[in-house]
Amino acid sequence: MSKGYRKYFKKKIFWFIITFIVAVMLNFFLPRMMPGDPVNAILSKTLGNTTDAAAIQKQYEVYQQAFGLDKSLPEQFLIFCKNAIRGDFGLSFSQYPRSVSDIISSSIGWTLALQIPAIIVGWILGNVLGAVAAYRRKIWDKVVMPVSLFFSAVPAFGAAVVLLVIFGITLKWAPVNGAYDPGMIPNFSWEFISSVIRHYQLPFFSIVLISIGGQAVGMRSMSIYELNADYVKYSRFLGIKDKKIVRYVFRNAMLPQVTGLAMSIGSSVGGALVAETIFSYPGLGSTMYKAITASDYPLISATTLIITVMVLIASFLLDIIYAFIDPRVKAAQFD
Amino acid sequence: MKKILALVLAVAMLLSVAAAGAETVTTLPRNKTLYHGGWQYGSIAAWNPLHSNSNNSMAISANPRGSRTLVWETAYMYNALDGKLYGLLAEDGYEWNEDMTQLTFGVKAAAKWNDGTAVTADDVVATWEAWKKLDGYNGTYAGYAPYIANIEAADGKVVISLVTNDEGKPVNPLLVYDYLSGTYILQKAWLDSMFEKHGGDAKAVAEDTCSEKDVPYSGPYTFYFDNDQLTVLVRDDNYWGQDESMWGKLPVAKYQAHTIYSGNDASLVAFKEGQIDVNQQFVSNIQDLWEKDGLAISTYMDEAPYGVCATMPTAWFNMEVPVLQVKEVRKAIAMAVDYDTIIANAMTNQSPSFADVPRSVMNPTDGEQALLDHDAIQPYQWDATDDLDTRIEKAKALLDEAGIVDTDGDGYREYNGEKVSLKSCCPNGWTDWQAAMEVVAAAGEKIGLDITTNYPEWDIYQTVFTAASQTEYDIFMWSPAGAAPSSPWARVRGLMSSEYIGLNSNWSGNFGHWSNERADEIIAAIPLAATEEEQKALYTEATILYLDEVPSFSLMYRPESFYAVNETVWTNFVSQDLNAELAAEGKPQIPPLDLIDGYGIAGQYYIELVE
Repeated sequence: MSKGYRKYFKKKIFWFIITFIVAVMLNFFLPRMMPGDPVNAILSKTLGNTTDAAAIQKQYEVYQQAFGLDKSLPEQFLIFCKNAIRGDFGLSFSQYPRSVSDIISSSIGWTLALQIPAIIVGWILGNVLGAVAAYRRKIWDKVVMPVSLFFSAVPAFGAAVVLLVIFGITLKWAPVNGAYDPGMIPNFSWEFISSVIRHYQLPFFSIVLISIGGQAVGMRSMSIYELNADYVKYSRFLGIKDKKIVRYVFRNAMLPQVTGLAMSIGSSVGGALVAETIFSYPGLGSTMYKAITASDYPLISATTLIITVMVLIASFLLDIIYAFIDPRVKAAQFD
Repeated sequence: MKKILALVLAVAMLLSVAAAGAETVTTLPRNKTLYHGGWQYGSIAAWNPLHSNSNNSMAISANPRGSRTLVWETAYMYNALDGKLYGLLAEDGYEWNEDMTQLTFGVKAAAKWNDGTAVTADDVVATWEAWKKLDGYNGTYAGYAPYIANIEAADGKVVISLVTNDEGKPVNPLLVYDYLSGTYILQKAWLDSMFEKHGGDAKAVAEDTCSEKDVPYSGPYTFYFDNDQLTVLVRDDNYWGQDESMWGKLPVAKYQAHTIYSGNDASLVAFKEGQIDVNQQFVSNIQDLWEKDGLAISTYMDEAPYGVCATMPTAWFNMEVPVLQVKEVRKAIAMAVDYDTIIANAMTNQSPSFADVPRSVMNPTDGEQALLDHDAIQPYQWDATDDLDTRIEKAKALLDEAGIVDTDGDGYREYNGEKVSLKSCCPNGWTDWQAAMEVVAAAGEKIGLDITTNYPEWDIYQTVFTAASQTEYDIFMWSPAGAAPSSPWARVRGLMSSEYIGLNSNWSGNFGHWSNERADEIIAAIPLAATEEEQKALYTEATILYLDEVPSFSLMYRPESFYAVNETVWTNFVSQDLNAELAAEGKPQIPPLDLIDGYGIAGQYYIELVE
């Protein structure tokens, strides 16, 4: 590795560490600034007939202690950081005494399995559509593009609800709740896998549908720009076949799209919230939604930390890869 | 490209299957599984019955008004329909000593733990001792210690000694009934092992999630499976309750399952599709499901109010607000409310009207209504006879007489020179309550009081009405106690007792912090009333005081639990018709408590398959 590369990486790593520290602080402090009292909510179930003020206070303090809320915020933050390094995010308020790590580990798999394929498929289809619209024009550009634009403008919850009502409730083509049939206990049988696929359809397509449009629009614009670039005109002048030119055009047009893909994957956990909530999909998005509505600070901090880390890693890798694949970026960064 | 797509999807499927945590190769047979809805909205946090904050709704919910006894059992089951306690682990009936300071009951000889050992009086004693040790981590002991002095075993029976006052009388014998129907009996050997395992550390015992899910139980069901989407209990075919001294047979369904939905909308869709058999969920215009949609859905009764109402969602006046300390203002607001609109719109007629069941401190059940002298309270029931327009005129007159008038001509009355502006609130998303609050606000407008509505999120709202002091909101909603062995006394206490004033995290009652010496005296006297007549006189006096002072006012009646069934797979659920048959046979009627709470669990033994 050259000296230039090393300097570039060091600089990048430094800024990512700074960003990470700030993000962790925000993840910790912002949820705790929300109004509400999670301990009071827990007491609704534990107090029973208790009317003795001292007994109530004692229980209040016990739960405060269990969650570390009896300490000052800076102290809580230091404990949070110390424990988070070991993967210990403490106990959940809303699912006490379950640990946050346990809750996340049981739901993150569903989210990644739903989001990553949906994002990738949406990205591929969107780019192909955008490229074809730019190159072929005619009906592609006049019909397909406006339709994609329409879908890209539909809010995530809108697309999900429309799919749910039309294909789930009215036509009954696909189930609308959960990740598999209600009576099923997970196993490696075809019956179970087919049930997972059936339940996968609607949340999957609700994500794909809205991501196609955005990707297609970006790709079309970039492709049109590239198709009119001097090197294309020059290549045509030289008599190089269109098929070969188009390959170069799309490779160049693809660069900003790669950024979009990486960022989408990075923020997939956050993006899962709408589809998972509407389709009762048992992933991290649903978990995060419930945590927010219950002021479950430890769970909110942990889930948002996951999003932060994923986005940071995605953008870091992107910067690194860009440095290798795009000499213009490299040149600019090394200057 | 196709290959990549196929690969991505295949990996996703495998990840999904792996995420599900493949454990057991099973699909629950539909014709052996009873699906419930409306209880479990998140994955289960713990299987520890000592953990009173458990969200394990299918297995752990101990409450006097009807404990869930599918897995762990209580001594008695409360039947809200006849107000009686029926023996579960305890023999039917109990004995009081002469001065009602000691209650004795026997444990059923047939009662067994799942390991085959007998349930004994020692288990009952050990459970009380465990609550004692867990004080501070669980509210059971703190809640009952002011009333129960000791629980011991004598000659194989359980003897409960009550706390007595200076005169040697029990402080409150009613709450002993609550304890008997509202707390689980746990195995002594297991309790000992738990404290031993954690070196006597009560906090550690309370926080143990019992992730092995192997806590000894005496009920008909036990853990089978749970994850983020489903919780399943399986029947223990060796259940002691098939003995003739109890049910004489096993419950019909092999599995009790609850799918975890993201919310009420998703749950309702599943209910309509027959994926839920018994649903505990408020469904507006529920009759449309069978009248318009033609679904095989029914409720306890064919006609409105469709269920048995046992509680009253209530609007509470914040007594810290000077203008609300004026009785006439409280009363005027309550008088001007259009209750028929609330019942028709917010409850879609799933509540009797206040003309059908005139307001008091009682719920609409016959048992509670019989405890009142209706002629005596009639003059105080402002909406029993007058129509809304008359009530509004009377309310205006009441305010005028109190000197609360509009002096600046802006259409709103002033108090101490300032416009009367009140903020009312209830949790956001509780649509029936929000609709009710809008009607209350409209009532204010009609009588010249400015009432605005606010709907904070639940997490904020729960700090509003439970606070020892509330300065932001003036009128808020919550329900007093429903049906329980200690009701209606518990409701009177919740509506009027000053013992709740100044309490932080007050989830129990008198949320507006109203204080009245006579009310406190009545509350102390009711549990010790020597005769039913004396009790009736006290309840009547309490009602008159409540309706005259209006520290709060009920907006509607409401069932203890909502109850609707889909008869696509199972039928012969608890209904008015089934109860008529049982009554004809001289058997106790079964409360429509979703086949899982209190004596409602008896419904498990009557369901039949449609095919």
